[in-house]
Amino acid sequence: MAAYIARRIVLITLVLVAVSILVFAITTLLPANVAYLILGPFAPPEQVRALELKLGLNDPVWQQYLRWAGAFLSGDLGESTLMNRPIAPLLMEALGRSLVLTCVSFVLIAVIGIGLGVIAALRHGRPPDHTVSIATYLGIAVPEFFWAIVVIVIFAAWLGWLPASGYEPLSAGFAVWAKHLIAPTLTLVFGHLAHVSRLTRSSMIEVLQSPYVTAARAKGLPERVVVLHHALRNALLPSITVLALDFGRLMGGIVVVETIFAYPGLGRLVVFSIQNRDIPTLQAAILVVAAIYAFANLVADLLYAFLNPKIRFGRHAA
Amino acid sequence: MPPEGSVFAPRKPLSPQLKAGLAITGAIILLGLLAPWIAPHPWDTISMRTRFLPPNATYWLGTDEYGRDVLSRLLMGTRLSLAMGVGATAFSLAIGVPIGLAAGYFRGWIDEALMRAADVLMALPPIMLGLLVLAVTPPALWKTALAVGFVYVPQIARLARSVTLSLANEDFIQAAKARAESTSYILFREILPNAWPPLIVEASLRVTYAILLGSALSFLGLGAQPPSSDWGLMISEARSFLDRAPWIAFAPGLAMCLLVIGINLLGDGARERLDPRLKARVKA
Amino acid sequence: MLTIENLTVHYQVLGGAIEALTSVSLSATKGSTLALVGESGSGKSTVALAAMGLLPAEAKVISGRVLLERDDMLAMTPAARRALRGTRVSLVFQDPFSVLNPSLRIGEQVGETLVHHRGFSAAQAFARAVELLDEVGIVNPAAVARAYPHELSGGMRQRALIAGALAAEPELLILDEPTTALDVTIEAQILSLLERLRETRGLTMLFISHNLGVVRRIADEVAVLYAGEVVEQGRTQDVLRAPMHPYTKGLLAAIPRLGQKKTHLAAIPGRLPDLRSPPAGCRFQARCPFATPASAAPQTLLDLGERHVRCTNAAALRDAVWPAATPMPPDAARSAGETVVDVAGLSKSFTRSRGLLGALMPRLGRDELKAVDDVSLSIASGEVLGLVGESGSGKTTLGRTILRLIEPSAGTITIAGETVSGRPQRALVPMRRVAQIVFQNPDSSLNPRKTVRELLGRPIARFGLAPSGEIPSRINALLDLVRLPSHYAERYAHQMSGGEKQRVGIARALATNPRFIVCDEPVSALDVSVQAAIINLLADLRDRLGVAYLFISHDISVVAHLADKVAVMYRGKIVETGASDAIMNAPQHPYTRRLLDAVPRLDDGAD
Repeated sequence: MAAYIARRIVLITLVLVAVSILVFAITTLLPANVAYLILGPFAPPEQVRALELKLGLNDPVWQQYLRWAGAFLSGDLGESTLMNRPIAPLLMEALGRSLVLTCVSFVLIAVIGIGLGVIAALRHGRPPDHTVSIATYLGIAVPEFFWAIVVIVIFAAWLGWLPASGYEPLSAGFAVWAKHLIAPTLTLVFGHLAHVSRLTRSSMIEVLQSPYVTAARAKGLPERVVVLHHALRNALLPSITVLALDFGRLMGGIVVVETIFAYPGLGRLVVFSIQNRDIPTLQAAILVVAAIYAFANLVADLLYAFLNPKIRFGRHAA
Repeated sequence: MPPEGSVFAPRKPLSPQLKAGLAITGAIILLGLLAPWIAPHPWDTISMRTRFLPPNATYWLGTDEYGRDVLSRLLMGTRLSLAMGVGATAFSLAIGVPIGLAAGYFRGWIDEALMRAADVLMALPPIMLGLLVLAVTPPALWKTALAVGFVYVPQIARLARSVTLSLANEDFIQAAKARAESTSYILFREILPNAWPPLIVEASLRVTYAILLGSALSFLGLGAQPPSSDWGLMISEARSFLDRAPWIAFAPGLAMCLLVIGINLLGDGARERLDPRLKARVKA
Repeated sequence: MLTIENLTVHYQVLGGAIEALTSVSLSATKGSTLALVGESGSGKSTVALAAMGLLPAEAKVISGRVLLERDDMLAMTPAARRALRGTRVSLVFQDPFSVLNPSLRIGEQVGETLVHHRGFSAAQAFARAVELLDEVGIVNPAAVARAYPHELSGGMRQRALIAGALAAEPELLILDEPTTALDVTIEAQILSLLERLRETRGLTMLFISHNLGVVRRIADEVAVLYAGEVVEQGRTQDVLRAPMHPYTKGLLAAIPRLGQKKTHLAAIPGRLPDLRSPPAGCRFQARCPFATPASAAPQTLLDLGERHVRCTNAAALRDAVWPAATPMPPDAARSAGETVVDVAGLSKSFTRSRGLLGALMPRLGRDELKAVDDVSLSIASGEVLGLVGESGSGKTTLGRTILRLIEPSAGTITIAGETVSGRPQRALVPMRRVAQIVFQNPDSSLNPRKTVRELLGRPIARFGLAPSGEIPSRINALLDLVRLPSHYAERYAHQMSGGEKQRVGIARALATNPRFIVCDEPVSALDVSVQAAIINLLADLRDRLGVAYLFISHDISVVAHLADKVAVMYRGKIVETGASDAIMNAPQHPYTRRLLDAVPRLDDGAD
C-alpha cells in the first residue's frame, strides 16, 4: 500500500510539472508575439518594448519558464497585466469562493447522485428506475448554460425568489450570502448528477447480479443485509473514481456557471483574463485549477486503495 | 450472414430506444441538411420593425433583438452544431484511435509514454484546456472544432487502448503471430475490425460532448462570432433579454437538448445491442 | 429427505421459452448422497437453483414440488423459504473464486448465517467460524479467518465455502460442481473432506457434477440428466457398471480410462436438441445408435426394479454395448521418425515491472516468477509427447515458449533441424510454417469477423503454399480432414458449436502442412461426449500425417490415451519423463504418484 501511494504521488507531481510546461508553452510559444497579444495589435512600439522588458519576453524560452516556475513555487504568481496588481491575493480570494461553490455542489452531487443510483438499481426495470433514468438523461443532455438560464428564468424572473446574479460576502450576513449561492449550486448539481447516478446504477446492477450476491441470498440472508452489506461496498468502488473525475468536471463547470451568475470565482477569473488578454493571470489560474484537480484525483486514488482490500493488503496467498 | 457483433445483424428487433434515437437524430440531421431550402425567412436579415416578436403564425419561434426569424436561424445553426460535433469527433478519432491501438498493442514504454501524455492532457477540465488553446488566437469556429477535437483525444485514446488490450489477449491474435503475420496485418486486419463496434458507439456519444463543449465555447465568445447563428452564440446573445423575450434563448437550448438526447438514445441503443455479445466474446 | 416431484422450469428468451427442465423427479433419502450427472445444457444447475428458490427473473417454475422432508419449498412464502436457506438447506457453488465477496473477511462470510439465522453476535460468529475452518482442515484457521478472499488459494477458498455452508448445521447440502474448478490433487482432498463431514454430521448431499469418476467415489445414487429430463436413476455402482439408457452407455464409452486398452473413444455424434421446441418423443433419439420407431413416442421413466430408465427399449437394450470403437494401431506400427523438436535447458522468467517507476526504482518495481525452469525434451516425427501438470505448473508457457510466441529467457530450441532460439523474429518465418498451435478456448481462438474460408485460406496464402485458384479446393480438403461438411466454409464462429470451432482450429493448424503442432489443452473446454470425437480426430491425424505433437493437458487420462511419451510438470520443472505406459503403471516421482492417485477412477484400478 505504501508503495502504491508513493507511486501515485510521484506520478502526479510529474504530471503537474508537465502541465505547467504545457500551459507555459501554449501561452508563450503559440502566439506570434505575446506582448502584441496582451496590448492589442495597434499598440505603440514603445509600449510593446516596455512590456517585453517587464515580462522578460526576450530571454531564451527555457529561462523564462524556469523563472516563472520558480517564482510560482515560491508563492509569487506574478502581476496581472490588466489590473497591475499582484495575482496571488486575487487568485486566492477567487479560489476560496469557487471552492465554497464546488464543495457544496460536490457533496450534494455525491449524496443525491449515489442515492438515486442505488434506488434506481434496486427498482431496476420499474417506474422509479425509469424516472431516474429519464431525469438523468435530461441532466446529461442539457448544456450547463441552458440549465443556468432555466434557473434564472424560473427562480429569478418569474418567482423572484433568488437573485439572478452577483455575490455577497459572508460578512454581509449568512442568509444573503447563502441566497446568492443557491442558484449557481442548483445549476451545477443538476448538470452533474447524471454521471454519478448513472454509473452508480449500472455498477450496482452489475454487482447485484454477481455470484457472491447470489451466494449471500443462498444463505438466506435478509435482502437488506445483502444489499447494504454485501453489494453496496463493492458497487461504490467505481463511483468513487467517478466522483473524483466529477470534481474536475465541476471545476470546468464553474467557468460557465460563474460567468452567467457573475459569481466572482476562479472560473470567471479565467474567462476575464482571456477576454482581456491577461496572460499571466491566465497561466496562474489554470495551473491552480490543474493542481486542485490533481489533488482531488490523488484523494480518490488513496480512498480507493484504502477501500479495496486487494490493494490495501497486497497479493500474497496465505 | 453478417458477423454477430454487427449492429445491423437482422435477427434482433430494434429496441424502442434505438428507434427513438434514430428518429430524432435522423429528423434533426435532415432538417439541418435541408435548412437553406426550408427556412421560411432569411436568417441574417436585420429588420428593426419586427424585433422581439413572440412566436406567431409568421414567425413560428418568434424574432430576436435584430428582428431576425428565430426558426430560420435555428435551422441554419443546426448545421453548425452538427458540423462541430462530427468534425471534432472525427479529428479525435483520427488521432486518438491510432494512439490507443499502438499503446494497447505494443505495451512497454510506448504505452507508458503515450498514457502519461494523455494524463497530462486530462489534468485539466476539458473546457479549460479548450479555453487555453483558444485564448491565444483570434476566434473562429473551425479553430474551436479543432480545439474541441484535441481536448477529447486522450479519452478516445484510452478507450481504444482498453479495447485493444482485451483483444490482444485473445487466442486468435496468438494464432496470427504463429503465422508470422506482420504487425500492420495484425493491427488492421485482426484487431481493428473487432475494435470498431465499441469505438463507433463511444464516438457517437462523444459527438454530444463535442456539441456541448463547442457551444459552451461559443457562448463564452471563443467560438462562432456574430452574426453567426450558432446555438451557443444565440443563447449568449439572448441573455440580456431573458425577461422580455425568453424564446430567443429557449429555442436553441431546447434544440440542443433534443439533438443530444437523440444521439444519446442512438448510442445507448447501439451499445446495448453490441454489448452482451461483445462481453461474451471478449471475456473468453 | 429431499424429494423433487415433476419439476418443470422454463426460461424466457427472445423468441420463445426454453424448456430447461421437464418433469424432473428425484429423491435422496436421509444420510445418503445423490449425484446429478449431465453435460452442459442438461439443466443440472437449474435443479439446484430451483430447489433453493434462487432462479433468475427469466426463469419460471411451471409445475412441480420440491419437498424438504414434508415441506414444499416452492409453495412457501419467500420469507419462509429464506429462513430455510442456510439453516436447513445450504448450497455450495461451483467457482470458489467469484462466489466470495472480495471486500469482506473470510471469517465474517463463514459465520454470516449464524448472525442472521441464529442470533449470534458478530464476535461469537467469528469465533465459531474459526472453529469451522479448523474442522474443514484449514491450517492456521485464525489467520485465515482474518484474511480476504484474494489471499487464499482455490482449495482453501472451497474449504471456506464448505465451512460457511455448514455453519448453521443444515440437514441437506447441495453442491454444484464443487471440484470442477480445482486441480485434481486438491479435488481429491476436498472429496475426502466431504466424505468425512458426511460421516460426522450425518449430512444428506445432492452432488451435481459432470465427472463420472468423482460421482463414483462420492455418491450412493446417481441420476443422469439429458436435455432437461432424467434419463436414468439408480445405485451408483449399478448404473456405472451396467448402464441401461443409451445416453449413459455412450457417456461411459466416451471417457478415456487410465490403463484401458488403447482403442478409439466412442463419441456421441450430433448435438443437443433445441429446447425451445423439444421433440415429442425421445430427446436422445437423433443421436442414439439403438433408436427404433418406438423411440418417436413420448418416453416415460420406467421402473425396472431399483433402476429408473426413460427408454421404451430399455429392457431389450439391457446388455447392449455402445458401438465398439475401432482399436488404434499398436504403437509399434507407427514408426517413430527423426527428431523434429529438440529443447535443451529452456527457461522463462516473468518479471513484472511497474512501468516508468519500475525502470527508475527497481526495488520498488519488480516481481519475478520462474514459469519454466530448465526444461529439456525432444519429440520425434509421428510421436506424441504428453505434457501433464496442474494449474500454475507452467505447461502452457512451455508450449508457447517453444514456438517463441513467448520469448525464452534461456535455453536452445531446435525445430525440424533449424535453430529457433536466439534468432530475430523475422528470421522465424519458415519455422512458423512448420510448427503450429491449437488453442484451448474455442471462443477465443477464431477471429469472430472472419468466415471459415478466410480463416483457413489465410495461412495458405500467407506462406504461398498454393496459387489462389487452388485455395478453395485446399480448404475443402482441410474441412474433410477434420470431418466438417464443405458448406461450413461460409460460417462465422458464432454459428458453430464448441466442438466444431475446435475442429476449425485444428484445420487451421494443419493448413500449412506442419511437422509439429502444440496442442494446448485442446479438449479441456469441451463436454465429454464432444471431447471424445476430437481426441479420436487428433489420433487419426497423427497416424495419417506423421505430425509430432506436444499435447498439453491437466487431465492425465486424456494424455495417457493419446501420448507415446509423457512428461510430468510441476512448478516449472519436468519431474518425470518416460513412456506413457511406464509412467501410468509405475510412476517414480512422488508428485506423479500423487497425481495418479488423485484421479477419480471409473474402474477398480486393476489394469
